[in-house]
Amino acid sequence: MAEQSRVIELRHVDKHYDKLHVLQDINLTVHKGEVVVLIGPSGSGKSTLCRTINRLETIDSGEILIEGEPLPQEGKALAQMRAEIGMVFQSFNLFAHKTILQNVTLGPIEVLKTPKDVAEREAMELLERVGVAEQAHKVPAQLSGGQQQRVAIARSLAMHPKAMLFDEPTSALDPEMINEVLEVMVELAQEGMTMVVVTHEMNFARRVSNRVVFMADGQIVEEGAPDEFFDRPKSQRAKDFLDSIRGH
Amino acid sequence: MSAHTTSMRDALYEAPGPRTKLLTLIGTIVSLVLVCIGLALVIQQFRITGQLDAKYWAFYTNMNTWRFLFDGFLGTIKVAAMAAVLSLALGVVLMLGRTSGIKVLEIVCRVIIDFFRGVPSLLLIYFFYLAMPQYGVRLPPFWMITLPVALAASGVLAEVFRAGVNAVPKGQTEAALSIGLTPGKTMFKIVLPQALRIVVPSLISQLVVVVKDTTVAYVVSYPDLMQNARVLLTTHDAVVSVYLVVAIIYILVNFAINQLSIYMARRSGNPIISRTTENPT
Repeated sequence: MAEQSRVIELRHVDKHYDKLHVLQDINLTVHKGEVVVLIGPSGSGKSTLCRTINRLETIDSGEILIEGEPLPQEGKALAQMRAEIGMVFQSFNLFAHKTILQNVTLGPIEVLKTPKDVAEREAMELLERVGVAEQAHKVPAQLSGGQQQRVAIARSLAMHPKAMLFDEPTSALDPEMINEVLEVMVELAQEGMTMVVVTHEMNFARRVSNRVVFMADGQIVEEGAPDEFFDRPKSQRAKDFLDSIRGH
Repeated sequence: MSAHTTSMRDALYEAPGPRTKLLTLIGTIVSLVLVCIGLALVIQQFRITGQLDAKYWAFYTNMNTWRFLFDGFLGTIKVAAMAAVLSLALGVVLMLGRTSGIKVLEIVCRVIIDFFRGVPSLLLIYFFYLAMPQYGVRLPPFWMITLPVALAASGVLAEVFRAGVNAVPKGQTEAALSIGLTPGKTMFKIVLPQALRIVVPSLISQLVVVVKDTTVAYVVSYPDLMQNARVLLTTHDAVVSVYLVVAIIYILVNFAINQLSIYMARRSGNPIISRTTENPT
């Protein structure tokens, strides 16, 4: 594919936590409109990898490129880049002291300098779209987990991101709330959003992703099209992992 | 996910059974009786020593007494309010310095914080009142009491704020950074507002300390409530009656601070409800 369609690119990325080598020579390219799912056992480094992309985690060596440009290390440039990449967290992290509406408008008003009324109109449209518009004036703690996570997605979307990172977006949810969040994510994928998703939701991975990246012990062990990966995993580790989660 | 927090009482004690209820009732009655006996003894003692004689209380019918006390009260409020504002601002600045990540600044702020926390405010007052004039710096009495009290409180407040900032979940910072807020904006828009609300109880205690610290204003001859009370009690030779009334005024002031803080914490934004959803695992 053409150079400019590469939205996220990691080249030979390494990271240690003290002696633990959590990311080992990671090479990963995400093209425009692609949905890449990161899976693997816990402690495999997939969340860490996801978080390096907007520098919530630093790296020891290697390169991260966003649309061909090196990831800024600090200051306005870094903030600017983060504004362009949405992030959805496992524990939602909605601003606890702000209303749902304020959670969504804060970024546009403070960072994009969108006029308040415009920001609010857009925010209401987004909240409508993720199905929580009627909760707009409540505070996060008054919402269910599934609702909070949908607000978190709306908060990211309000920044008109080039790509979105999802760090285990459904892992903290009660089972009956997982689908309402996944549905929003499926919609996003279908609209062509570039997405990197760390998840244990195998059905979502199979149905929506263009590529599955399997990680173990800080390494990318194998990657491939979802059907291929789930039906004919090449590595023994992937086979073991798939067996363990399928409960065989 | 429930919208109400467990009260301290519920958290510390389980619901009482019949035996506990009986014991509680007995305890209540016994302590009530003891309190009444204690009060009676105090009043009796006052009567024996003549503290309840009309001469000790008659001057309260004179409006000038109240005006004089009120002037003192205003003095106390002025010093306390200015000291509170200064110490809150300085406390935030010191806390930001201490957590700035810039090593030298962190050490400097830490030394300042520990110094003001460790030194009694009376000693600071003597410094402003006795030491500084020797080097040609002679501040008006108002500042000779306000500055030391503010400085002493700022050290404690810096630590209170730091505890509050640390208590705000890390995810709040990460979320703020991830939508493109700069670290500075993240601190002022997201972390500090939540930290402030977490530390409201400690903040109240510290403001009460500030009010109490102002009572040494007599050292620098600033006419606060305590200083005017001293004048009043020498004029009328009425120690108990004056100090009793003044004590009640201080209690009322501190009660008012308490209520005001709670009111402002509520008003400063949306209600903080239990954060059970913050760190689910």
